[in-house]
Amino acid sequence: MRIARRRTAAVLLLGVSLFAAACNSGGDNGGGTKTDEKVELTFWTWVPNIDKVVEKWNSTHPNIHVTASKQAQGDEEVTKLLTAAKAGSPPDLAQVEYQALPTLVSNDVLADIKDKVGNAKSDFADGVWQTVTLGSDAVYAIPQDVGPMMLYYREDLFKKYGLTVPKTWEEFAATARAARKKAPKSYLTTFSSGDPGWFVGLAQQAGASWWGVNGDTWSVSVNDPATKKVTDYWSGLVAEGVVDSKPMYTPEWNKSLNDGTLLAWPSAIWGPGVLAGNAADTKGKWAMAPLPQWVAGENKTGSWGGSTTAVTEGSKHKDAAAQFAVWLNTDPEAVAALVREGGIYPASKAAQAGPALATAPDFFPNQPDFYVTAKGIADTAAGFTFGPNVNVAYSAYKDAFAKAIADKAPFGGALDTMQTTTLDDLKKAGFKVAG
Amino acid sequence: MSVDATPAGRSRKRTAPNLVPYVFLAPAVVLFTLVLLVPIGYTAYLSFRKVKVSGLGLGKGSRKEIFAGLDNYQATFTDPELWAGALRVLGYGAILLPAMLLSALLFALLLDAPRTRFARFGRIAIFLPYAVPSVVASLLWGFLYLPAVSPLHYVLERFGVEGPDLLGQGSIVGALANIGVWGGVGFNMIVIYTSLRAIPRELFESARIDGCSEWQIAWRIKIPLVTPALIMTTVFSLIATLQVFTEPTTLAPMTNSLSSTWTPLMKIYRDAFVRNDLYSAAATSIVIAGITLILSFGFLRAVQNRAFGSEDQ
Amino acid sequence: MSTALATDRSVSTHKHPPARPQKQRRTSVLGTAALMLGALYCLTPVAWVVIAATKSRDDLFDTLTFMPGTSLFENIHDLTTYRGGMFWEWTANTAFYAGAGAFLSAVLSGLTGYTLAKYRFRGRNVIFNILLAGVLVPAVTLAIPQYLLMAKVGLTDSYWSVLLPSIVSPYGMYLARIYAAAAIPDSLIEAARTDGASDVRIFSMIALPIMRPGLVTVFLFQFVAIWNNFLLAFVMLSDDHKFPLTVGLYTLLRQGNTTPALYTLVITGSLLSILPLAALFLTLQRYWRIDLLSGATKG
Repeated sequence: MRIARRRTAAVLLLGVSLFAAACNSGGDNGGGTKTDEKVELTFWTWVPNIDKVVEKWNSTHPNIHVTASKQAQGDEEVTKLLTAAKAGSPPDLAQVEYQALPTLVSNDVLADIKDKVGNAKSDFADGVWQTVTLGSDAVYAIPQDVGPMMLYYREDLFKKYGLTVPKTWEEFAATARAARKKAPKSYLTTFSSGDPGWFVGLAQQAGASWWGVNGDTWSVSVNDPATKKVTDYWSGLVAEGVVDSKPMYTPEWNKSLNDGTLLAWPSAIWGPGVLAGNAADTKGKWAMAPLPQWVAGENKTGSWGGSTTAVTEGSKHKDAAAQFAVWLNTDPEAVAALVREGGIYPASKAAQAGPALATAPDFFPNQPDFYVTAKGIADTAAGFTFGPNVNVAYSAYKDAFAKAIADKAPFGGALDTMQTTTLDDLKKAGFKVAG
Repeated sequence: MSVDATPAGRSRKRTAPNLVPYVFLAPAVVLFTLVLLVPIGYTAYLSFRKVKVSGLGLGKGSRKEIFAGLDNYQATFTDPELWAGALRVLGYGAILLPAMLLSALLFALLLDAPRTRFARFGRIAIFLPYAVPSVVASLLWGFLYLPAVSPLHYVLERFGVEGPDLLGQGSIVGALANIGVWGGVGFNMIVIYTSLRAIPRELFESARIDGCSEWQIAWRIKIPLVTPALIMTTVFSLIATLQVFTEPTTLAPMTNSLSSTWTPLMKIYRDAFVRNDLYSAAATSIVIAGITLILSFGFLRAVQNRAFGSEDQ
Repeated sequence: MSTALATDRSVSTHKHPPARPQKQRRTSVLGTAALMLGALYCLTPVAWVVIAATKSRDDLFDTLTFMPGTSLFENIHDLTTYRGGMFWEWTANTAFYAGAGAFLSAVLSGLTGYTLAKYRFRGRNVIFNILLAGVLVPAVTLAIPQYLLMAKVGLTDSYWSVLLPSIVSPYGMYLARIYAAAAIPDSLIEAARTDGASDVRIFSMIALPIMRPGLVTVFLFQFVAIWNNFLLAFVMLSDDHKFPLTVGLYTLLRQGNTTPALYTLVITGSLLSILPLAALFLTLQRYWRIDLLSGATKG
């Protein structure tokens, strides 16, 4: 009995001290910038050269010191963040891709910083801002970069083989066939089972939205008609043998960018950086055009990639962290530095039209109006709601589509597998799901 | 060679149980407990838990960890992918183990044979891949396999032959086993070679005087004497085989033939690191560890007298 | 193939003096050829790493695989200047993790192996079997539980979080036990004991020196294992100044879709990270062979 009582006392004590600690940190938070008190923030990110941008902040903000810690990008980083948060030792700030936000929010990893971000909302397009609020009145992150999709193609080889730039997907298919005839070793492009983000972008363009919220109920519609249309389209091209089916971002793919056996790449605004990095010798040979359309005359695109800066719930200095997140992604100088050093395409509207993007990428000397065209395309990006288990859907995509390709089966079954896997996972976890 | 029981009873006074060995073992036992046993226990605990989300799962506290009973285990045992993965690993092991161990034995015998030249060079060369991290090994073999960048395909193309896709569905198991052989043969060769060197040389000399050929010596004297080493390398290789993970994981993004659940361990990784479902991963881990335990101890038991016969009995 | 041919030629001309002081016998051409074939098989991919490290970024994918480039020094320079010398910080970290971890592991294995081999006591086999069973537990399954537990004692993202688990090596303990059993004569221990030496003294002054070759082997194996370990450090560490090479290079490979993987840096970095291990083999193998030979004659 006595032991039990002592334990109760201990728990009470612990509770009190925790409460006191909460008060302290509360003061710290609420007070914002207390003079002389130096705040240390850690920031997980994978943007190249971001140290230089962070250095700018540190030199102008002596009281809030940010340390950038470079992480590998991908699902593992999300898991690492989840685990760190679970263990009570998350970083103060983290780079988070748009599609990972719902997962992290659902796991209580990210802080709602709506009362700490001022009117940052006005810096971003409504559609972009919506993805960081998850359609609620909370704010879970500040958008950093966006990835509106566009088509890159080898201008020189298109000319050589007498191909025209396709304006619709129908034309794209015809171009793919023509390319195979003119250059039997080459493919117009490849359908990659390794890049779910790419596929989602294509589906977005067609009007898909895989997750939805209705009241307190989720819905999952991975195999909606729009996605089915996209799937069947590519399935047909692969079966016909006019589009390659090897994954992207492999040594083999890199080679095909170099040796001209890949003629086009439906990609996103950040494409020039990848092309320059993997195939420097092809400088000036690529050109960019809007993504082919499903209906002639329309102007729609999807998004591939893009990320945000988020403040974690476990951070002891949320005010300071939010201040940094806002600065990093809206301050003209900071964003310009991100564009220059990190090669991102900013989410900030002002920066999209800013001086950092006034001239075309070095890799596209043949297209001086690159960013003007790009901004026009960016404005047509369709919205998309991500759900709390994007990771599950994405890994299902990789497995199911890879299997379909390996088995030479139509992709429709793979899409259905994705739908079932995603839906079952939500149900299993206890989410309220329709259907 | 063999060590009989320490003649403790004879030479040491048996006044009290000797505490020294326990003190000596304490550091190992304590560390082992901290970094392995406790996490294993924790894994076992997690395997009986799961997360329950309520509603949209976006509000605070909408996610609770609850007791799951045997749910995770049931899911593990009824997941066809897991067993398909296990079968694939068996197929992989059926190629890898004999190829690797037999060549390791062969090279060890060659190194030990007096008539082999350049033994020193050979030993270092064959052992060198062991220094290459398996991630790098898989990456570089990937370069050698992928048709567009492979030198093999380059040569074949010169002869007008279309090279096979070594990462295709038909050959992927062999391609992976090859990486395993490449990385592991040197290590096993050294272990076997080390125990070959421990055999007193006089044994061979007398055999040679009796007119035995080197192959006869190898077959009749050397191999029987290094049987314990062979058994242990087999056991350790078997365990490593069942845990195959890095190679397929590294190669997976390069091909359509490898799924994220290609081996059981990859499935565990996917559940834990991609799907953030630590609980399912924990249950599968326990099951896999249990099966590995049974297999390897079963094998050890079957050959025990040979492996430890000299020391334990 | 050229290596094998060169080998045969030099064999026939007997340019190389016999390495061992045994009576010279006829060279086994078949055996030597088989060994050289094995060496070729093992060296070819290593040669690929060396050659690939000499290529510039676009040459890597543009030129024939085994055609050397001219950019080795550029690549090393790029690697060295990457984020203000981060690569060398990673190298230093790795050297520390592997050096300290393998050393402690060898000592611990030595003590444990010696005790298990040379003492009779209740629970000996149980303890041995449990320790040995540690081999059966894949790192993947334990990484996250280990992280969560480390977090409970506030050790995550510290050097300790990587070092501590690296010290425990079931395989090392097993090898040390086998080695101690074979190499240390009981009579020697008995004699020392009769002279009044304490157990600690017997272990440190008699057993350890005899076990040195075995422990060098354990050290080497563990050194390699830690040097090449990825997952543990990946999970435990978030401060990139504490990263080992494997995790650091991984961040170069995985910078996201929007940035090309820095293949050349990774390959050059891999090559540079393999070199110290190769050097270590060459240095330590001398110990290894001579001592094992003498150990064998004594045993």
